[in-house]
Amino acid sequence: MTQTFTCGDHGALVSYLYDECEPGERRAISAHVAVCGGCAEEIASLGATRELLGAWSPPDAQLGFRVVSDAPRPHVSNVLRPSRWWQQPMPAWAQAAAAAVIFATGVTLGALRGTTATTDAPTSNPGGSNVTLSPATPGAVTAGDLSALEQRLRTELSQIRTTNGPATASAGDAQMFERVRAMIQESEQRQQRELALRTAEIVRDFDAQRQGDLTRIERAMGQMDGTTGVEVAQQRQMLNYLMRVSQRGQ
Amino acid sequence: MTLTDDELVAKSVGGDAESFNQLILRWERPIYALAYRVIGREEDARDVCQETFLRAFRALPGFKGQAKFSSWLYRIALNLCRDWIRRQRRAPVMQMPEGIDPGELAAERGPVESIEERVSRRELRPAVEEAMALLPEEQRTAIILKEYHGMTFQEIADMQGCPLSTVKTRLYQGLAVLRRHLEKNGQMTPQLVKRT
Repeated sequence: MTQTFTCGDHGALVSYLYDECEPGERRAISAHVAVCGGCAEEIASLGATRELLGAWSPPDAQLGFRVVSDAPRPHVSNVLRPSRWWQQPMPAWAQAAAAAVIFATGVTLGALRGTTATTDAPTSNPGGSNVTLSPATPGAVTAGDLSALEQRLRTELSQIRTTNGPATASAGDAQMFERVRAMIQESEQRQQRELALRTAEIVRDFDAQRQGDLTRIERAMGQMDGTTGVEVAQQRQMLNYLMRVSQRGQ
Repeated sequence: MTLTDDELVAKSVGGDAESFNQLILRWERPIYALAYRVIGREEDARDVCQETFLRAFRALPGFKGQAKFSSWLYRIALNLCRDWIRRQRRAPVMQMPEGIDPGELAAERGPVESIEERVSRRELRPAVEEAMALLPEEQRTAIILKEYHGMTFQEIADMQGCPLSTVKTRLYQGLAVLRRHLEKNGQMTPQLVKRT
């Protein structure tokens, strides 16, 4: 079916522009546009306008609406709202905080368990040298363990003393005292030497500083004297001049 | 397997809220885009979008499938936009400057301002937004539905409740105003016109 197109029919031009017209109408408009400069320009400029419209996009928005329904009444009192905070992924700082809290809780529980173990541990083993240490980790030594160890050492020491005899012990003590005394004397002498050396250094520094200060003071005084002398000389010259002038005038 | 809108609607009517959430996921972006372009404000467009789905959900038992679900949603959204515009004292997003008649503007064909090159796309967007804001609501909505949502003249006529010829007239007049405004601002270059 052949259709006709009337020049200036905006409705038909719009249909042609959006390619929403019958094939016959399209053919008629195409034939007209080919010979009519005005309609051709109109179509071209409207097409260009449409192209520019493509630049307009809405800004990104956080949507994510969800229907939260009450189970027994699905169509009543429903709330449409964005996802809840606990449904969203946890941020990194929150994960780090949670990890820190868990770690601190673990440390506290560990400390509490250590205290309990102290009260439960055996305090001593007076019978002999077979002292059993707690099978805990190397870092977890309890007060009970320490007291047991002390007791063991005391027992062993007393056994050694008993086997060596009192005479040997007293001779050893005297020797030891002598050595200690010698060491103390040596240390005192060394300290005295160091003290004397240090004092001498301080005295020398003090003297040097004093000499320097005195020199500076003398130099300053000399400058002041010089200045004063020059001024006095100038005044004298002035007086002499005045005297001469006054005598001439008489 | 992806369910169609009709299948999801049927399940939603049966009380399956998750099916309706899928419909929301599918259509919230287009509805938000429509609302934003019609009313021009991001936050209000978001509110309109949310209200659209809330109303749709409540009215779902009454939806008999006479129209496409998406057309039904668009209609709800457009009604909400219209209410919003009415609340803004029937004013378009940007008032037409005093002394300017859109009809005159469309008819007038002054000389095109010459610029060396087409301006960058970043500058173009606000220019188009500004030009769209000059249009009366019916023309703006017709152009938005046609250009950005690909509706047919008949669908727009149904949506706007007007004859098909009126839709074409609105589109023509709206495009003419936009053309004039973009020409005035140097967005429309002879090269661009020639290319199309």
